[in-house]
Amino acid sequence: MRSCGLALSGTDSRCYFPATPPIFSPRRASNSQVSFLKSPRPPSACVRVKAAFINDAVVSDAVEVSFYELLGVPESGSMLEIKQAYKQMALKYHPDVSPPGRIEEYTRKFIKLQEAYETLSDPNMRALYDRDLARGLQFAFSSRKRCYDHEEMEEKSGWRNRWQDQLSGLKRRSMNRDSKANMSWGARMRRERDEIHKEDA
Amino acid sequence: MQIMAEPIYTVASDSETTGEDRTTSTFPEIAVGIDIGTSQCSIAVWNGSLVELLKNTRDQKIMRSYVTFKDDTPSGGVSNELSHEYDMLSGAAIFNMKRLIGRVDTDPVVHACKSLPFLVQTLDIGVRPFVAALVNNVWRSTTPEEVLAIFMVELKMMAEYQLKRPIRNVVLTIPVSFSRFQLTRVERACAMAGFQVRLMPEPTAVALLYAQQQQQAAHDSMGSGSEKIALIFNMGAGYCDAAVSAIGGGVSQIRALAGSPIGGEDLLQNTMKYLLPNSESIFSHRGIDEIRRMGLLRVATQDAIHKLSFQSSVEINVSLGNGSKLCKVLSREEFEMVNSKVFEKCENLVKQCLHDARVGIEDLSDVVVVGGCSYIPKIRKLLMEISKKKALYEGIDPLEAAVSGAALEGAIASGIGDPFGSLDLLSIQATPLAIGIRADGNSFIPIIPKNTTMPARKELVFTTVQDNQSEALIVVYEGEETRAEENHLLGYFKIIGIPPAPKGVPEITICMDIDSSNMLRVLAGAALPGAQHPATPYMEVKMPTVDDGHGWCAEALHGKYGATMELVTLRKKS
Repeated sequence: MRSCGLALSGTDSRCYFPATPPIFSPRRASNSQVSFLKSPRPPSACVRVKAAFINDAVVSDAVEVSFYELLGVPESGSMLEIKQAYKQMALKYHPDVSPPGRIEEYTRKFIKLQEAYETLSDPNMRALYDRDLARGLQFAFSSRKRCYDHEEMEEKSGWRNRWQDQLSGLKRRSMNRDSKANMSWGARMRRERDEIHKEDA
Repeated sequence: MQIMAEPIYTVASDSETTGEDRTTSTFPEIAVGIDIGTSQCSIAVWNGSLVELLKNTRDQKIMRSYVTFKDDTPSGGVSNELSHEYDMLSGAAIFNMKRLIGRVDTDPVVHACKSLPFLVQTLDIGVRPFVAALVNNVWRSTTPEEVLAIFMVELKMMAEYQLKRPIRNVVLTIPVSFSRFQLTRVERACAMAGFQVRLMPEPTAVALLYAQQQQQAAHDSMGSGSEKIALIFNMGAGYCDAAVSAIGGGVSQIRALAGSPIGGEDLLQNTMKYLLPNSESIFSHRGIDEIRRMGLLRVATQDAIHKLSFQSSVEINVSLGNGSKLCKVLSREEFEMVNSKVFEKCENLVKQCLHDARVGIEDLSDVVVVGGCSYIPKIRKLLMEISKKKALYEGIDPLEAAVSGAALEGAIASGIGDPFGSLDLLSIQATPLAIGIRADGNSFIPIIPKNTTMPARKELVFTTVQDNQSEALIVVYEGEETRAEENHLLGYFKIIGIPPAPKGVPEITICMDIDSSNMLRVLAGAALPGAQHPATPYMEVKMPTVDDGHGWCAEALHGKYGATMELVTLRKKS
């Protein structure tokens, strides 16, 4: 792995570990905003503040359980088990099925559930998470500050993926008559992310 | 100034008495599903065991989306019957309002509406267009919101009469490409009609219906119901949408959405131009005669396009008044050639959606094609080619899919149980567009990316561009374009009291939160690195905050303040 092995070498760590090429783009950041205030090992003192004051309302009842415990699957659980568990949990904890008056609580639960699912359903993210878990650092996993880096994105903007061949610049232009030939920021990031997946696979 | 004024609306109060006087039922109120399309509308409700579309007094489930103004009393296509199709083209009938709602007069979609047989005037200054119907030779101005509200009031009255209960809650389907600003306009129309509304992107409603069918099939076969990936393609008169959903256990999890304001209306206009190349100059000034001739051509072309779905060529024979006549044979090949750009856009939309969902065609279980344009052979062929499938999914009625899905969502949201588990369903939505702010010069920096599962909460850290910069302007946009101003403006505010520090040092955190009712809040706060508390209490602003015509305000702000209140993304520090 290119990562220097720190707990937070995922999505958003690039601000702190500049030497490490990002494993995932910021787009990948699962719902990382459910921060864990009581996080026992904050990765970097300065990160915590913002997450703390912005997420005040969210964190209060955070009982620290691992993503596996959250989804109710064993750590050896298969992708299928994770997907099924996520859907079953969503049927219970999505705010749309919440009893009246508990919507906020269900919203918080669902956002956590979603983060757990997005992490564990992505083989690369899951590998990182598993490593953090083994070191007892799993609660820091989601408490990262998101930074944005242009240069890194520009570097990767030339990358291709399997749909890319079909989405030539010309066609892209015809889709949005006013847009530039360039792909949007979002499209570029997604492409980048997919490329990383391919590379690691 | 008259153009800008919101017309006084009267229909809503008429209807409110109709429903409210009835004895209220003791059953939990089940929200109805409503689909108001660019050309057609329908209403459906969960009747206790399945979804049922309601019919009007003329036994129609699918009604025309238009309003005619006669002697200043508007009446819509739900209750009203035109003596002839051509009455719709006399200048007194307003339609295609779904294409115009929440758009300003610099929008190309608004300009395309100028060939409709009523008045759509633009001044190209970023305000709402002037829309008017010809009533007794006088232009009576209206708004898309008013027209939508009239449909909804009529549908409401019809449903209340049939269901014998007041109806307040509704799930209304919307195109994927609608901006949050457009949603506020739709919500305003719903408020005019006395509805509390949940808005649901059309293909996600179809996906929910598909999820129910799969769940049912799994029950019947006693199977576990493994996950299926479905591609939904929905194309009506005004909009084209695609969605990829992962479906299993009754849950439809939207993986990606893509939408564009292209539809049957574009096919119609392209074909009209092809049949009568100088039509634009003929109809350039709006006399009663021009409107009538434009209407005649429109009806004849529409008819021809419908026929081309079932036959390979069609003969058009229409008198356009003033002794001029149009006689032509139009082949399906010609129709496809004339509209090749539209079909190409559809293809790109689908490919983009599959790409964004990170789904390969080999993963697709089913391809569901719905909407009025789903009958067009070229559209079906296109979807089969992209998905490399020999057949499209057959179990869903293309014209009833969206409204049926909306009715299902209404039943689920009402919290009623179903003894057979038919309502153990859930639709997990995703953001159709990215939401972010202007930073790094004129760039759009997404904070909540496109296709993020909702509800969601995301944040990103920015910093100052000036030494001792104490204020920062937060301009919030929604869209997918790189340049900020090419996206939809949602609002702006400034944060003040950034602690004095060299540029690039303060950490300004922007957090965006979409709750379960799809409300967007933007939170912003500034702190110095290492601080235990933010320098100022964070600001929390509900979005959107802007009204029509504010697009240029953001530009004016930047003209006035230049770089003094700008932000850049926080780079990695080396």
